[in-house]
Amino acid sequence: MPPKGSKKGSASAPKQTLVLDNGAYTLKAGLVPSTSANPSYDNCSVIPNCIARSARDKRTYVASELSNCKDFGELVFRRPVEKGFIVNWEAQKAIWEHEFLEASAGEGLRCNPKETNLLLTEKPNCPKELQKNCDEIVFEQFEFAAYYRCVGPTLNAWNTSSPSSLPQECLLIIDTSYSDTTILPVYSGQLLQSAVKRLNVGGKLLTNYLKELSSLRHYNMLEETYLLNEIKEAVSYVAPSTQQFCIDLERTWKGRLGDKRTLDSSIVLDYVLPDYEHSSHGYARPHDPAKSRMRRGLQPQQGPREDLLPLGNERFAVPELLFNPTDIGIQEAGLPEAIMQSLNSLPEALKVTMLANVLVIGGNSLIPGFMERLESELRTLVPAEYLLNISRADDPIKHTWLGAARFASHPDLLKHVLVKKTEYDENGSAWLARKFAGGGAK
Amino acid sequence: MPHVEVLPNATSAAAPGWHYVVDTGFDPSKVAINPKDRKRAAARGGPRTDNELSARQQTAIARRIAELERDNDPKQSIPIPSKSGIPKTPNARKIIQYQRQIKHWLDDEEAQLALLQQVPQPRAAHLRRVGTIPQALSEATPAPPGSATPILSGTPGEQIDPMFSIESSMPPPLDKAELEALLAVPPLSFAASHVAPPAPGGPPQRHFCDNCGYWGNIKCLKCGARVCGLECKDAHESTRCLKWT
Repeated sequence: MPPKGSKKGSASAPKQTLVLDNGAYTLKAGLVPSTSANPSYDNCSVIPNCIARSARDKRTYVASELSNCKDFGELVFRRPVEKGFIVNWEAQKAIWEHEFLEASAGEGLRCNPKETNLLLTEKPNCPKELQKNCDEIVFEQFEFAAYYRCVGPTLNAWNTSSPSSLPQECLLIIDTSYSDTTILPVYSGQLLQSAVKRLNVGGKLLTNYLKELSSLRHYNMLEETYLLNEIKEAVSYVAPSTQQFCIDLERTWKGRLGDKRTLDSSIVLDYVLPDYEHSSHGYARPHDPAKSRMRRGLQPQQGPREDLLPLGNERFAVPELLFNPTDIGIQEAGLPEAIMQSLNSLPEALKVTMLANVLVIGGNSLIPGFMERLESELRTLVPAEYLLNISRADDPIKHTWLGAARFASHPDLLKHVLVKKTEYDENGSAWLARKFAGGGAK
Repeated sequence: MPHVEVLPNATSAAAPGWHYVVDTGFDPSKVAINPKDRKRAAARGGPRTDNELSARQQTAIARRIAELERDNDPKQSIPIPSKSGIPKTPNARKIIQYQRQIKHWLDDEEAQLALLQQVPQPRAAHLRRVGTIPQALSEATPAPPGSATPILSGTPGEQIDPMFSIESSMPPPLDKAELEALLAVPPLSFAASHVAPPAPGGPPQRHFCDNCGYWGNIKCLKCGARVCGLECKDAHESTRCLKWT
């Protein structure tokens, strides 16, 4: 539906745009002036999207205040975004106000919504009710001057090498994020909705799985989400192939009763847990059997006391879930097969071009070995005569933001999609929902 | 002898009474709850697969996955520290005060879709009635492509050996109408966007030890979980065995 013509030229669009990639784990945000200056990763701030409360020092940390936190023990998180969608507006509003409006906001981020455009990204397949809530809060509570909401990963099409005003034609985006892993074929900046696939394995599930395994095998760590996330990021790796997975599993096996094996210290690590008195972060080092005997009281204590978490097959069995979700009973195909499921619903010509332009974004792609495993497994599924070209974004976490910022720095593109507050006041949220659903970033 | 029958009326209780009966052995209604009759099942024959899970195991797995996927712990509530921004409109206040979780919104979406699917059936019938003429046309359309194909395949293919022909490996060019139809498809619902289960011909499901994560070659006799050896079996029985949950 075209916007009403009566407002044409009456109020000029604001000069700056708040580009906000509102993730479940972190906000990626930055103010972009509407001139054609080429934005870069440095313009983007990554802010934890949570409100955390520590039972120990009885303090509450809102979003970026988390960097002041020294004691991450038993830290409890409240996250406004669930499964990638903004669900709890009470918490999200508090975080946005804290980060963008109040005196606590960072210097590069503070803005007056009445003089700012908002470009907000969302996950694909968002329930319509939640989209409506979001639109209403943006205009009625925050009163942004103008606003555009779209599926975030599609904006990666604007990350072309030359700062042109044309998106990349064909792009297959694998977004392996905190909540889940989504596969999004994008044609000229527009999402091919029928081929979007979602694999219910994301960083959150991996962290929780590691937490469960460590709690079962060693210490009760069910309250230590922050620590386990840190451990996951420090030690996990993806086995290069299924065969190598079996070999590694063999090498980390403790052996049978009466037939103990020595653990392979090239894989097994000891993670030195932080005590939050002298250190607030732990570190990993190769496994030392003497230390673990000491821990179990089989050998007298020597040296300073430290708490060790031995990590054997957890290191590679946890990220393995991305490739074999059935290992814990999730009835979904692994990532390479899921990509083929998505592509098989497309015409052959599109499928070929998509395979030649695969881009991986999202934090899980930073796990060592992820890209190699994905490429080699995908290669076996793709017909031999097809070209497979798969790459990871330079900064997989900020890449969507950068695409959005590049899009926002083209005033003519932005003018096309933005909806002004006056238009919203006149037509209401049902009209707005239809307008945003009508077209992609075009 | 007069025939006495209790007719159902508003006052009669729906709950059945109970009484002692002679134990006649195998009761098929209890199989799903507790499939312990493995010897009898073997004697009865019938299809048996190795990886069949009991209802109890399935619930345990579903609960575990839900636990792993959970975003916020409903038991722990963290209050918002400062009450700075007051809701500006009644509508905004309503949205801000929602205490619902994502599963409630997704259930809502499902329910609305189910409603929509029930409603438009008469409308679809109406459309079909209106669309008789286009349908007749579309039945006639297959002819032009049929006549067009010989031209396409005839021109380049004959001189070149099919081995070296690129034509066979190149996909047909993109149809513009098809592309536009693809781009115009509305978003799928959240539930419809999930990845399908792996293809049946793929590698079989792997089983891991419930305790240490090594291959789970042995089934726990009590609950069916997998363990790798005696040591882990003892640990499993003292902690996670479903027999006791």
